[in-house]
Amino acid sequence: MLPVERLIGEEGVCAHPRGIRLAMRLPWYRSLPFSTVEVAAVSLDGVAADLSDAVVEYDGKSWPLAQNGEKVDEFWFVRDSAFLVLPAGEIEAGREVALSLTINISPPYIPGMTRTNTQVATLRVA
Amino acid sequence: MTVAQGPNIGVSLYSFTNEWLSRQFDLPALLHEVDRRGLGPNIEIIGFQTFKEFPDVSDRFAAEFRELIAAHNLNPVSCAINSDRFLKPGQQPIDDAALVEYHKRQLRSAAKMGFSLVRYQFALPVHLLPEIAPYAGDLGLRMGVEVHAPMWARHPAVLAYRDMYEKLDTPVLGWIPDFSGTASRIPASMLDAARAAGAAESLIDLLQDIWLEPGMSHERAGKLREIALREGHAPAHIQAASLAFFILANNDPLSWAEMVDRTIHIHGKFYGVSEDLVEEAIDYGAILPLFRDGGFTGTMVSEWEGHAYDTRDAFEQVERHHAMCRKILAG
Repeated sequence: MLPVERLIGEEGVCAHPRGIRLAMRLPWYRSLPFSTVEVAAVSLDGVAADLSDAVVEYDGKSWPLAQNGEKVDEFWFVRDSAFLVLPAGEIEAGREVALSLTINISPPYIPGMTRTNTQVATLRVA
Repeated sequence: MTVAQGPNIGVSLYSFTNEWLSRQFDLPALLHEVDRRGLGPNIEIIGFQTFKEFPDVSDRFAAEFRELIAAHNLNPVSCAINSDRFLKPGQQPIDDAALVEYHKRQLRSAAKMGFSLVRYQFALPVHLLPEIAPYAGDLGLRMGVEVHAPMWARHPAVLAYRDMYEKLDTPVLGWIPDFSGTASRIPASMLDAARAAGAAESLIDLLQDIWLEPGMSHERAGKLREIALREGHAPAHIQAASLAFFILANNDPLSWAEMVDRTIHIHGKFYGVSEDLVEEAIDYGAILPLFRDGGFTGTMVSEWEGHAYDTRDAFEQVERHHAMCRKILAG
């Protein structure tokens, strides 16, 4: 990864009516279609989150994470955060949460390449 | 008497990738800084790095961009476009018609924003050039394929493109040499980054030996991995040491002479220029005179790739690179 690359976005994590809303950054030097990005794993306080009902929010749009692979013409601008909304039990604002996020990227001009990236951080829920 | 002047020097905004990704500069601020420091006027921009609307830039954004460029007296020479064929990982690449249209979208955007050429990639199958080149020509654009490590003048892919270039014989198509393919050594700063990540001296030594061997990059990276694992080095340390295989190659710097005639633009790739104006890995003293004396008068953009492992001041690095190149070209 580039020295400044990050997965957990500057906006961090906040409480959401459906659970939590997590900011994510794209770990690459250029924008990529969402179809080449896989949000592979999220864990909260060491417990793997169920991503089957997760939703991606980006630039005023939203779609089920499960549909990401079809988003060949929806580009994640490399300076933007995308957000992942996922059910997360009772996580109230103000408490700290140990977060792990894994994103796999497959740059669409490099055949066969997939890079796995993981970032771990403890964040206060906004 | 003709005086050899050589390339005009400019900058690729790719040099400032770390400043860009960490949101220290937005586009107006970055162009202002490039102008203020006198790093232009000629610039290259990677479409998919800098323009949110890429590959389909709106008329409104294009007009705003042109105004911004004009306000800073910059010259948008090159827009880097991509051959994104593998839009669904693990599945078949998109078909030729879709790939051609993907290129045309980017070409239209580049033309709309006032660029004079595009950087394209070998990932574009050579048989599609007869269809795409006239389209670029009609838009007033030239297309330069980037000859980046592991490519060099005599790489099979370059030779296949050379055949097609000779067949089409159009001024629209040309080369963009990227000096990464003819590095004389692994940059010391890259080795230091691997050490900082935990790589032991014995691993660094092994890396430098294997990097100099002939063969495909991924095969040599595999060899390093195999031997290093056997010797007990940690996978994370091996990974940190392997970057050199993927962005640098050790081909003959003088081989660029074979490409000067069709060169339309240059990536002045570099990793670290010292205070006394010496680049760590690439022998500019051998390379630049080839282009100057061969009559190349287009643009060479400084492209600092030390940002891939280093957070040094990118602006200072580009300033030093400019000073080094001007000194060599005047010599």
